[in-house]
Amino acid sequence: MDTIKYFGKGPGLYIMASVLFFLFAAIIFAIYKSSKKEYFWRLSIPVFFIMTVLGFMVIAMGLPVKGDEVGPAIVPELWITGIILLSVLIIIRTLFGLDEKDPGWGRVGVVGAFLAFTILYLYMIIYIGYYISTLIYLSVSIYSLSYRDIKVIAGLSLGWILVSYVAFYRILYVPLPKGILIERIFG
Amino acid sequence: MDLLINLFQGFGYLVGWEPVVAMTVGVILGILVGAMPGLSPSMGVALLVPFTYKMPPQIALILLVSIYIASNYGGSITAVTINTPGTPSAVVTAFDGYPLTQQGRAGEALGISLVASTVGGIIGTIILIFFSVPLASLAVRLHPAEYFALAIFGLTTVASLGGKNWPKAFIAALLGLLINTIGLDPISGVKRFTFGTYRLFDGFALIPALIGLFALSEVFSRLEEFKFDKEKIEADINKTVWPSFIYYWKMKFTIIKTSIIGTLIGIFPGAGATIATFIAYDFTKRGSKDPDSFGKGNPEGVAAAEASNSSSVGGALVPLLALGIPGSATTAVLVGALMIHDLNPGPLLFTERPDIVYSLFASCLVANGIMLALGLMGSRLWIKVTDIPKTVLFPCILAISIIGSFAVNYSFFDVAVCIGFGVAGWILKKFDYPAAPIVLGMVLGNLAETNFRRAVIMGGYPVFFVRPFSVLLLLVSALSLAYPFYQSYRKKKKSAAAGK
Repeated sequence: MDTIKYFGKGPGLYIMASVLFFLFAAIIFAIYKSSKKEYFWRLSIPVFFIMTVLGFMVIAMGLPVKGDEVGPAIVPELWITGIILLSVLIIIRTLFGLDEKDPGWGRVGVVGAFLAFTILYLYMIIYIGYYISTLIYLSVSIYSLSYRDIKVIAGLSLGWILVSYVAFYRILYVPLPKGILIERIFG
Repeated sequence: MDLLINLFQGFGYLVGWEPVVAMTVGVILGILVGAMPGLSPSMGVALLVPFTYKMPPQIALILLVSIYIASNYGGSITAVTINTPGTPSAVVTAFDGYPLTQQGRAGEALGISLVASTVGGIIGTIILIFFSVPLASLAVRLHPAEYFALAIFGLTTVASLGGKNWPKAFIAALLGLLINTIGLDPISGVKRFTFGTYRLFDGFALIPALIGLFALSEVFSRLEEFKFDKEKIEADINKTVWPSFIYYWKMKFTIIKTSIIGTLIGIFPGAGATIATFIAYDFTKRGSKDPDSFGKGNPEGVAAAEASNSSSVGGALVPLLALGIPGSATTAVLVGALMIHDLNPGPLLFTERPDIVYSLFASCLVANGIMLALGLMGSRLWIKVTDIPKTVLFPCILAISIIGSFAVNYSFFDVAVCIGFGVAGWILKKFDYPAAPIVLGMVLGNLAETNFRRAVIMGGYPVFFVRPFSVLLLLVSALSLAYPFYQSYRKKKKSAAAGK
């Protein structure tokens, strides 16, 4: 039990996470190189679930139990067991061809670019504030999706800033960030 | 008698400009959300929840429920005019609605869908009122073991949400349940899966997760498809003739019967509006003297679909309000909204906050009336929603999602959670893992866990099998779980027989 507790926190947790990560990487590499390559994602996702919840199981087994039979670990363990069993079932169904082949990926680059831009937007909010960064974010993202009516883009971006100022800042008292740089410059 | 007095008081709460504005705005937004293909009622409600944080709980709920009510009707507008159902449940409306439009009878189809939706919504609300009040007074006396069985019953919804991908739907629900265990243990206070992050002590905030799973995942899917074409409106609805009162009166029995069917089906967790419309449509077609005309532009087909669709909202609110069990994705979002306002859906809501419950009942009735008025005035206008370019709409949804999730706790951590759930939802949806069971698991997780552990502490593990009501509920859950499998087995058998 002490050994399990060791892997539930501190350096032991990092060791366990690394082991599970490398195990996951090895399995998905094996899937990629196997004849089941066209089911790569359909097989990798349940494998990912199993590896993740195994980590959770180790942590749960290390949770303190104060003599009662229904401690904090029992319910998570129940759900984890269910996830493992169903993941195995999905893997078996996929291997036996009962699941469809992986659908093709579309413009993942567009999603990636949008995600990256959204994360950049969040940083921009911290530094230059909500209003300026939202103006840039909305204008650039609408333009980048091939919409070319500049008047509409400007009107919409400014309109949204006005709506968010009135609805969130004035009515709902949400402290929309003013931006570290802006506050330093303008006080 | 108490019920009627309370209901009158409920109407009393609606006097004043705030509830009327909330209902009107809710109905307008609901119709727009429903009419826009790609926006679902659950997504619309989730996106609007952040706007309600500082509102009085009554007004917030009136607004959100009005959106829910009207979005079901909104879906029929595009189903009738451009054969593109705005919501999944409007698929059946398109069967006869679009052929009517092709025959130059768009006004007829739109009129029937509006009137049937309104009448269906009102009948659904009446059944909601008379069903949920006694159910709630019964539920107050439930033992934790029975409550756990109830939560399990709510989770059996997953079987019907998943369809043939039931293992994936169950995994999604279990993931939601596991996510719900992150944070401080509700009974002993032990930190679980917090990884030393104090922000996780309360677990993941529900609203950012909901917005991510319902709104962002959809935006990412659409961005990946990169299809932003506008829907083409071929029918000239400006030139169509709207039917008279007598025309609608002829369909009264169809509307009433299918409204009752829709409400009763809506009560069962997971059955939802889509199943209700298919069953009601099939029921009407079988009972018709001219079944062959269905699918070719029979107005009764539109009436059946829309009446059952709208009445299922009242049905879906029964288990939510009386038992605290959400039976659909949208009602799961409504649970999140209730929690934000420190309200726990369930039987105690009826005794602790009857003002909330009865004003909600009254607003459901009034919102349907507002929907009728706005529908009559604006059907030509609502269709214009399809003119909004998706290239403009999706960045706006992203912006609303970000500010909405930030506004929960004024925290960028919640924004990151929202984006994380959005990405996870997009990938999982792509490989047929539905998002709704994750939400259901997150919403029902606490109810299931605390009552499971309380019940075991009070009576040991056998407690679930010695209390008759608990046994009954577990049996019903098992049946509800097994029914979709039985249906698919029958379907397979039928198609095999047809193949021979």
